[in-house]
Amino acid sequence: MKVSRLYLAFVFFVLYMPIFYLIYYSFNSGGTMHHFESFTLDWYKEVFADTRLLVIVLHTMIIALLSSSLATIIGVFGAIAIYYAKHRWKQTLLTLNNILIVSPDVIIGASFLILFTIAGIQLGFTSVLLSHIAFSIPIVVLMVLPKLQEMSPTLIDAARDLGANEWNVLTKVVLPYITPGIFAGFFMALTYSLDDFAVTFFVTGNGFSTLSVEIYSRARQGISLSVNALSTLLFLFTLFLVVVYYVMTQRTSVKGGQK
Amino acid sequence: MDDRVIIRFDHVTKQYDDDLPVLDDVSFEIERGKFYTLLGPSGCGKTTILRLVAGFIEPTKGDIYFHGKRINNVPANKRQVNTVFQDYALFPHLNVFENVAFGLRIKKMPKADIERKVKEALRFVNLEGYEQRAIHEMSGGQRQRVAIARAIVNEPDVLLLDEPLSALDLKLRTEMQYELRELQRRLGITFIFVTHDQEEALAMSDEIFVLNKGKIQQRGTPKDIYDEPVNRFVADFIGESNIITGTMIDDFVVEFANQQFTCVDHGFAKNEQVDIVIRPEDLELTTVERGKLRVRVDSVLFRGVHYELCCYDTHGNEWLVHSTKKADIGEEIGLHFEPEAIHVMKQSGGE
Repeated sequence: MKVSRLYLAFVFFVLYMPIFYLIYYSFNSGGTMHHFESFTLDWYKEVFADTRLLVIVLHTMIIALLSSSLATIIGVFGAIAIYYAKHRWKQTLLTLNNILIVSPDVIIGASFLILFTIAGIQLGFTSVLLSHIAFSIPIVVLMVLPKLQEMSPTLIDAARDLGANEWNVLTKVVLPYITPGIFAGFFMALTYSLDDFAVTFFVTGNGFSTLSVEIYSRARQGISLSVNALSTLLFLFTLFLVVVYYVMTQRTSVKGGQK
Repeated sequence: MDDRVIIRFDHVTKQYDDDLPVLDDVSFEIERGKFYTLLGPSGCGKTTILRLVAGFIEPTKGDIYFHGKRINNVPANKRQVNTVFQDYALFPHLNVFENVAFGLRIKKMPKADIERKVKEALRFVNLEGYEQRAIHEMSGGQRQRVAIARAIVNEPDVLLLDEPLSALDLKLRTEMQYELRELQRRLGITFIFVTHDQEEALAMSDEIFVLNKGKIQQRGTPKDIYDEPVNRFVADFIGESNIITGTMIDDFVVEFANQQFTCVDHGFAKNEQVDIVIRPEDLELTTVERGKLRVRVDSVLFRGVHYELCCYDTHGNEWLVHSTKKADIGEEIGLHFEPEAIHVMKQSGGE
């Protein structure tokens, strides 16, 4: 018992240590990550004074919110379509969906780059948004489909029995039932979009950049601790999203209830 | 056409792909204001009939009439029937009030009317004051009542009940049997109740349809079906019974277990092979000399209200006896029965 707890503590220590190391030095006035001189908030001031960086943060947020919202809408209907598909097709569609999730980002990024070049779409906001929507849809499908499958088919029969047409069935029974799955899918898509590097790196251009690409290019130069400050802020934001998600799922599961 | 007939099945067959038909050329009529039970083992087609009436599936062949109109292609949401499902199918994201109000809201009824009708329906099933409860806070029996309230609030002409009591424990089930029967009398609408429990069927119904392998084996009042089963399947399915083969010697004379007995049946061919049914409670324990049959007791079970004796006669036929008297295992006893206790059935089924 005690050993297993120690082991668990060790694993989490290893996982979180780089992040905390990075956060620790974001408060260092020395300007390097070797020697901690004294506490300062200068790097944070620098981040907030950097207008170019703030524009990039704004872009990242817009891309994340737009792409995850659109991907959620498309993905939910996709999941419903797979749910109603004939058994033979269902498995094929599901496999095709999963392949997109496990295939390497590099491949997806490169293929998008080729596609956009052929289609003549200018690399920038549109191309990044489209590719983010595309890689988020399979995630939404994967989060929504189990909720649909868990739903008893007699619920739909019952709704029709009580006079509901197809539209009523969808809006009054199916969608409310799978709401927790929809939220889960939305938040997953949001975090995927926020931290995506590989795909964005391929399809961005023309002065348009997202945070992860920007942090990468700045970290490579390796001079300023403002990168640390920025990463800390991003980490805290992600933490905030996780808490929001947790609270929401807690609420819906109490409201929705289990049998 | 008879004005009381509300539903009519005309040579209805339901078949999936190339499998054997689930429902095989079935015709019957359902009258207004009666309590019907569809009884049979699983896979006999009883739920298929219910789903055909509800409109969830369409017949492969034949026609279904509702108030004299053909409704084969009328979708479920346009039919004047409502269903109570086996798993209740209550909407987990809605509370009790909203569950019951679901059908009324779809019909866009004014708010005040919805309020009044839902309250009334909940009072009908003894669930006043539960309006704001979530479904997962309700017990099995209470969910059952919500499901019934949700169905009857729409004032259907026919209420369909798909094994609604099977998930409840024995005591609650008996209680709900009384309540359902009482509810049907008060509402005065037609109930079609599906079950595989013969006791439930006998206790509640005005009329029972016994089904097997997609065909109606027998229809009639509970008493008819219990006392005069038409074939071996019905006799075996409805209650426990002793079924043995015999020969009809003449009108009112039947031979089985190498003995001849007087009976009350007639109209068979001479020396026709028949099935004989004698209910265990019609057999009376007596001494070997006074008994019509001589048997040896093989096992005795105490069932509470009676003993259940399993006996064998000298020809190896098994006789099940329900008696308040006890006998010892291995003991030789006599069995007495009245001529009316012998039910003679044609062999090879069919009405």
